[in-house]
This record gives sequence, structure tokens and C-alpha cells, in this order.
Amino acid sequence: MARPELIIQGLRVGVEGREIVKGLDLTVRGGEVHAIMGPNGTGKSTMASALMGHPSYEVLGGTATLDGQDILAMSVDERARAGLFLAMQYPAEISGVSNANFLRTALNARRAENDPVPVMQFHRDLKAKMESLQIDQSFAERYVNEGFSGGEKKRNEILQMAVLRPRIAVLDEIDSGLDIDAVKLVASGVSQMLSEDLGVLIITHYQRILNYINPTNVHVMMQGRIVRSGGPELAMELEARGYEWLRQELGIDEPITEEA
Amino acid sequence: MAGTLVELTPEQIAAFAADEPSWLFGRRLAALGRVSELPLRQSKQTPLETAPFLAPDLAQAPSVTAGDVPAGVELVDLRTAIQEGQLAVQQHLGRLFTEGESRLQALHLATFAGGAFCRVGRGVELKEPLQLTVELESGALYAPHLLVVLEEGARADLIVELRGGAGAEAAVRGAVEIVLGDNAALNYTEFQRVPGRTQTYWPRRAELGRDAKLHWILADVGARLAVADTRTYLRGSGAEARVLASFFGGRRQHFDFNHVMVHEGQHTTSDIEARGVLQGRARAVYNANSVIRKSAKGASGWQHEHTLMLSDEARADLIPELEISEWEVSAGHAASAGPVDPMQVYYMESRGISPVESRRLIVAGFLASLLQDIPLASVRERIADIFQEKVEL
Ligand SMILES: Nc1ncnc2c1ncn2[C@@H]1O[C@H](COP(=O)(O)OP(=O)(O)OP(=O)(O)O)[C@@H](O)[C@H]1O
Ligand SMILES: [Mg+2]
Repeated sequence: MARPELIIQGLRVGVEGREIVKGLDLTVRGGEVHAIMGPNGTGKSTMASALMGHPSYEVLGGTATLDGQDILAMSVDERARAGLFLAMQYPAEISGVSNANFLRTALNARRAENDPVPVMQFHRDLKAKMESLQIDQSFAERYVNEGFSGGEKKRNEILQMAVLRPRIAVLDEIDSGLDIDAVKLVASGVSQMLSEDLGVLIITHYQRILNYINPTNVHVMMQGRIVRSGGPELAMELEARGYEWLRQELGIDEPITEEA
Repeated sequence: MAGTLVELTPEQIAAFAADEPSWLFGRRLAALGRVSELPLRQSKQTPLETAPFLAPDLAQAPSVTAGDVPAGVELVDLRTAIQEGQLAVQQHLGRLFTEGESRLQALHLATFAGGAFCRVGRGVELKEPLQLTVELESGALYAPHLLVVLEEGARADLIVELRGGAGAEAAVRGAVEIVLGDNAALNYTEFQRVPGRTQTYWPRRAELGRDAKLHWILADVGARLAVADTRTYLRGSGAEARVLASFFGGRRQHFDFNHVMVHEGQHTTSDIEARGVLQGRARAVYNANSVIRKSAKGASGWQHEHTLMLSDEARADLIPELEISEWEVSAGHAASAGPVDPMQVYYMESRGISPVESRRLIVAGFLASLLQDIPLASVRERIADIFQEKVEL
């Protein structure tokens, strides 16, 4: 298959009648790592949720295609099977359903009904991936995210990504709530997955994770749009100087804390 | 409603009892005598139908098959047990229905036909679960009676399955009686998956001696109308009972369940945990009551009920109650009904799982904790699968 390609053009997204994402353009291809940074409440998660098809977010305009297919016309599960993955900022908990069962069901959903993944092979693969993310083996039988600490939930998201092997992965604050070692672990886990067959979009507030996953592109989002794009040096600059200088430069006078 | 009652004569009862001992004929006649005086005791949310008031045909006793039976245990057809002159049968049959008897129960005691008798001898501890299948064939009214007696210190697991051929349009007016001696422990699993046109009236009674333990693991998935009333008497001090009830109703199924724990002994504990799933236009009327009598110092009785509503047209009435006549006790209840959490569905779909499969997993997860104590993995998995496959979207 050709390199994955996510193309977002003029995307506008509303929540409860309020427009949050106001015309966003972005292209992510296999082998690329894009980082999106930006103040709280500027619409980063809204954009990610709308791409995945979260029921609370309404697409008001624009297009998004994955490998040429209109993903906005697809149901959530179709988007996932088309190769889109979203590591969520706040993943749901599912009582009574083990992580292993959940992942096996998700994998089998991508395969023909008469060709499920062999159970032994699945468990071997899962075990290896858990080891490399230093997730205790007991998590395979624990219920999905139930009683997981904040950091454990994030690691579990990356484990799912490793098992499901998406074409485009959107990672929403995968580094929040992680201790210093865990950031490194999760980041190197993602790095190991990088190839021409995977494009990554990382939403983050901290430059730290970008030390371990070298971004090819860095974008700043404010007021529902990408207002500046650059290379890794842009992340460094934001880390050092904050957003105020950029606001002034762009003539944006929105207070940082608005409804965030 | 009395008009719907079939007029049974003592001669007809005699026909039932043709090859039975005279003590039983006497009891049947006495029960028949009470029928017209007793109240119906039907919940007002559940329509009363005529079928259960008919007289069963003796020849229509359901076939009851038991698995392997080890030493120290009897598990036989009830008629056989009666003919053999089993003392425990004479001693216990119908005894637990005396308190709060309803008209239907008296009619049952007058006309029950077939069933099973299980006795586990004093101190016998079974390693493997006992299994019993009650199979309905076509037509008619079935009136089986299951009597289970565990003598002092006995321990057993019993798995009962009620089922029938797809075409069966039967009514079942049965009864379950469980007597646990001091220190006896029973894990009673019952899986009801009779065909979709059947109606079942299935009261269950249990009596627990000192330090006896009973787990009712009840899973209901079949029947058009299923009425079950489970009443556990914790008589001996230190007795402990749990109900783990799961049910899944769809289409126009109607369930009416009532779970009552009656604490008489000191330091008795009970726990009722019920989880239901409803879809289509199914309806569940769910009552639970923890009764703590004046004698039951130090008792504890808890209830948790939750119903997952998969459709807007399904309906659940949850009516938890406490009746407490003693000060030094701990008791409480929590009941709720609500839809599937859309964020859970979204999360699962975001991993590529289809909407219907997502709901299946959520349902399976929701009910899993109630099935985990079923002693045979094969039975547990079969029940879980049947629950899951029932999810429609
Ligand atoms: N489900 C929702 N209901 C109501 N308002 C919402 C919802 N989701 C987002 N919003 C609002 O939309 C705006 C953008 O939120 P979003 O979560 O996209 O910001 P963000 O850029 O991801 O912020 P953060 O960096 O804090 O995660 C905020 O004002 C937020 O309150
Ligand atoms: Mg966010």
C-alpha cells in the first residue's frame, strides 16, 4: 500500500452550537511526525475528536481524507478500520471487559469473520508489546482502563496503538500525567513504531516528549486555527518563551484562560 | 380472576396421586382446599394469565435428566423418590411454601407433576457440580417441583437448566425448595432459557440452618413472561445467602422478579445483586426486600440492582424495600436504570469495533461479575455467549 496520507482542509467544528475549530488545514503523511501545540482551550482536542467522529462534535465545514477516502462521511468504527487511531486525552473505562478481550475484538474487527487472529499468537504478541512498554502482564486481564492511574491509561493507549498498527495516529496529550521516565518510555515506544507506513500527529503542551520523538513539523494552534508552522526549533522557542510573543506578533488578544 | 380457575375435584386429584402414598394424597387434597381462599399475590404491573391456573397433565411431566451422581448423593426424578419412600421428601415437600402462600402455589402443591429430588448426605463434600436439565416439549402446562436437601455439613454445586424445543408454547408452574442443614453450603445455578412463547411461574424457597451458606446464581434469558419469586429464610445464626441475578429481556418479554431475604437468626448476612439488560419493548418488574426480624440481632442485608437499557422503549420498574424490626443491623439498597454510556461505545468504536459488537462487549462486561461464580467454565461461557448474542441493534 502507498504511504498513508491524511489531508485536512478548511475544517470547521462546532460544539453545542459554538464554533471551536475555525478553518484548519493540515497534511500528515507516512514517516512524518507533526506536533501541535497551543494554549488550553484553543480546539486541539476538538479537532482530534471531530476527526475520529466523536458524537458531541459537529463538523460545520471543510474536508478530511485518509488515503483519498472521505473519513468525515464514515462511522467511527469505519474510520478506525480505515487506519485512523486516536489516543484520547480522557479514555473511557469499560467494566467487566478485559484489555486482552477488548484488543482481540478490535483486531478481529479488521479481519474477515472466518479468519480471526489465532489466540496463542495474539497473546504472544500482546505480551511482547506489554513488555516493551513496561506494562505489567496483569494488565492484560484487567478491565479496560478501570482503576488505571492517569499514567497507566496513557500507556494503555499506546499499547493499543502498537497492537492495532494504525496508518495515522493522533496522540492527544499522551505525555500528560506521565512521570519523567514514562514520558521517555512512551515516546520511544511510539518512535519504534515509526515508519513510512505510519504518520503521527502529537498534541502536546511540553517540548520534552519531542526530545524522544523528533517531529518533522511543529504547529501552533490558537483560536481554532493553525497560526504558525515550523520545524523542531519552533517547539524549543515556545518552551522558552511561551505563547504571549506569538499572540502579540499575530495581534491575537484572547486571554489565555478563556473557558479552558 | 377466580373464574379462570379450573375446577378440580378430589377425584381428579386422586388420579394424580394414583400411585402415590396416602400422605401425599392428603396433602394434595388439603392444598386444593386452600386454593379458593388464598389471595393471588400477583404484582400489579404484571398481567395475570389463565394458563398457569390450568391443571397439568401427569403425562406431561418434563423430562428431567441428571448428570453423574457420586456416592452420598441422590439425584432422581421426584416420582421415583416418592415411590421409594424417601423420608426427606415427606418431611420437606411443600413445607417452605406455608408462609405467605399464594393461590397459584396452593394449586401447584395440589397438582405438581414430576420434578426432581436431590439429597446430599451429612458431611458429603462434592468436588464436581451436579447437573440437572428440565426439558419442555410441546404444548401443555408443566408443573415440576424441585426439592434439594443438603444435610448438615454437606457441600455441593448444583446447576439447573430450564429449556425446551423451539416450538414449545408451554406454561410452567413449578417450584424450587432448598433446605440447607447446619453448616451446609450450596451454590445453586439456574439458567432459564425456555422458548420465547413460554410463560413460567417459578417460585423458589430456601431455608438455611446455622452457618449454612447459599448462593443463588440465576440467569434468565428465555420466556415470553417469566414470574419468579425467590424467598430465602435465614433461620440459623450465622447463615449467609447471596442472590446473583442476571437477566436479559428483549422484544416483548416481560419479567417479574421478586427477591426476598428473611433474616431470623442472629448475625445472618444477605446480599442481593441483580443486573438486567433490556432491549426492544421488554419490561422488567424487579422487587427486592430484605426483611430483618426482631430476633436477628447483628444481621446485615444489602441490595444492589442495576438495569442497562438498550432501547428507549424498554421499561424497568425497580422496587427495593427494607423491612427492619431490629436495631443492631446494617442494611441498605441501591437501584438504578440507565442507558449504555455513549462514551464507552465511542471509545470501542474508535478502536474499530462495530456498534453492535461494542454493545455486546459492554453487556458481557456488565453481567460478567454475576456469572463468575458459576462452577463450570463451560456453563459460564455458554450463558455469557447467549447473553451477548441476544444484543440486537
Ligand atoms: N464536549 C464539549 N462540550 C462543551 N464544550 C466543549 C466540549 N469540548 C470542547 N469544548 C470547548 O471547546 C473549547 C476547546 O476545547 P478543546 O478541548 O478542544 O481544547 P484543547 O485545545 O484541547 O485544550 P487543552 O489544551 O486544555 O486540552 C473549550 O472552550 C472547551 O470548553
Ligand atoms: Mg485537549
